[in-house]
Amino acid sequence: MGYLFSADNWEWLWTENNARYLLEGFLINLEIAAIAMVLALAFGLALALLSLSALTPVRLAAKGWVDVFRNLPLIFLILYLALSLPESIKQGWQENAPGFLPEALRGQLVLAGILGLVLYNSAVIAEIMRAGILSLDRGQREAATALGLSYRDQMRHVILPQGLRRMVPATVSQLITLNKDTTLVSIIAIQEAVRSGRILTQTAGNPFVGGGDVQAPILQVMIFVGLLFVVVNYALSRVSRRLEVREARRSAVRPGVSVGGGAGDEALRAGAT
Amino acid sequence: MFDVLTEHFDEFASGFWVTTRLVAASFVIALVLGTVVAALRVAPSRWAQRLGGLYVEVFRNLPLLVLLFISFAGLRRAGVGIGPWTAGIASLGIYTSAYVAEALRSGVSAVSRGQREAALSLGFTPLQTLREVVLPQAFRTVIPPLGSIAIAMIKNSAIVGASLLALPDLLKQARVVNSNTFQTTESFFWAAVGYMLLTLTATVVFRTLESRYAVRR
Repeated sequence: MGYLFSADNWEWLWTENNARYLLEGFLINLEIAAIAMVLALAFGLALALLSLSALTPVRLAAKGWVDVFRNLPLIFLILYLALSLPESIKQGWQENAPGFLPEALRGQLVLAGILGLVLYNSAVIAEIMRAGILSLDRGQREAATALGLSYRDQMRHVILPQGLRRMVPATVSQLITLNKDTTLVSIIAIQEAVRSGRILTQTAGNPFVGGGDVQAPILQVMIFVGLLFVVVNYALSRVSRRLEVREARRSAVRPGVSVGGGAGDEALRAGAT
Repeated sequence: MFDVLTEHFDEFASGFWVTTRLVAASFVIALVLGTVVAALRVAPSRWAQRLGGLYVEVFRNLPLLVLLFISFAGLRRAGVGIGPWTAGIASLGIYTSAYVAEALRSGVSAVSRGQREAALSLGFTPLQTLREVVLPQAFRTVIPPLGSIAIAMIKNSAIVGASLLALPDLLKQARVVNSNTFQTTESFFWAAVGYMLLTLTATVVFRTLESRYAVRR
């Protein structure tokens, strides 16, 4: 305990610009997470729709794809992509990456990291969305068909708004997982918070490398990095909980118009609390 | 394709065995810690609830990689002589225990109020009520979520070997084979087969448990 809280071991935090260095690394995590989230949601929705297709070959292919990428460890995918992406693609990215991206995101292996995150998370999100759509009452789709809505209109106006809204809590918790998983790209040398932290512990106290002449013990550095994640992810989970409560209240107020099948349960639950 | 497996079978087998032991030991720790934390969260004392809540929020929102750095490099630097196995198992176990605690807690709240009230009115103490009446029923309803937690944990175990820990798990061995043979796709393919074997086994085990202990209502 003495070691953990001793001021000597925390001095690095307010020396030079060490704290800023870590925060800039953390910003890279958030940026990677945001890019991967948008892509994973888009591809996840596409995969979910394909895995509900009426065409058997399409459905089986989509399900097979989802099952493979959902069941492999994410770090496995990232490392494999980092090793096996063609040099031309890696080089091409490094040379042609848009200039507005921060330097850490213009490296050779960034594509491998983001592609791995998107492949894994789109498969997981596809599964969540598929479950959301399937949880809807059959009558919803039948009624839409009876009203003469095309497949597109059914999906856009009837099925997706209800099915996806139900899956908001599960999706947000997957997005929190994604945010934590952005630290894995440090293993392929992309400089985000964890990597910055390790660099700090190796260079601080070394007069030849810079970073100040104060020791930065890895225990304290990693606790600081961890706290950044805990704060942001906790905030995300609070937002998700608030959405959930609002959703339950909304379906309690207008049980008739909200959702078919299962809406009764939600209304009851909200009414009981 | 097959020559990579036959020529490097020992590496893959030892990696598979390391991953299996890592997962098994961590899961036991996750179950024990998760149960304790879930008990705190449903305990009658407000302070116990807060403590349990804090534990869950911290370890569910902290990246496993950061936890691994704290528990291995961090503690070693602080002078605690912790080995890679202890650090790996403890990190993976603690990280997973937060999820287990959440699953158990929602299982406990799924047990109807009447059960608890009946036990209390029969003169059971709160602890007895929890141990004899609520937890056995909660454990049954949480078997499916525990199954998905176990599968997520098998996948997360790859992070332990991929970070700085000197644990030659399945993924690490695949990378060793790759650097010796330069057959990237083949070496990773066989590791993937290993991970699939483990997740498939977990799926079968939890399906069996689920049908055996299903609550008949």
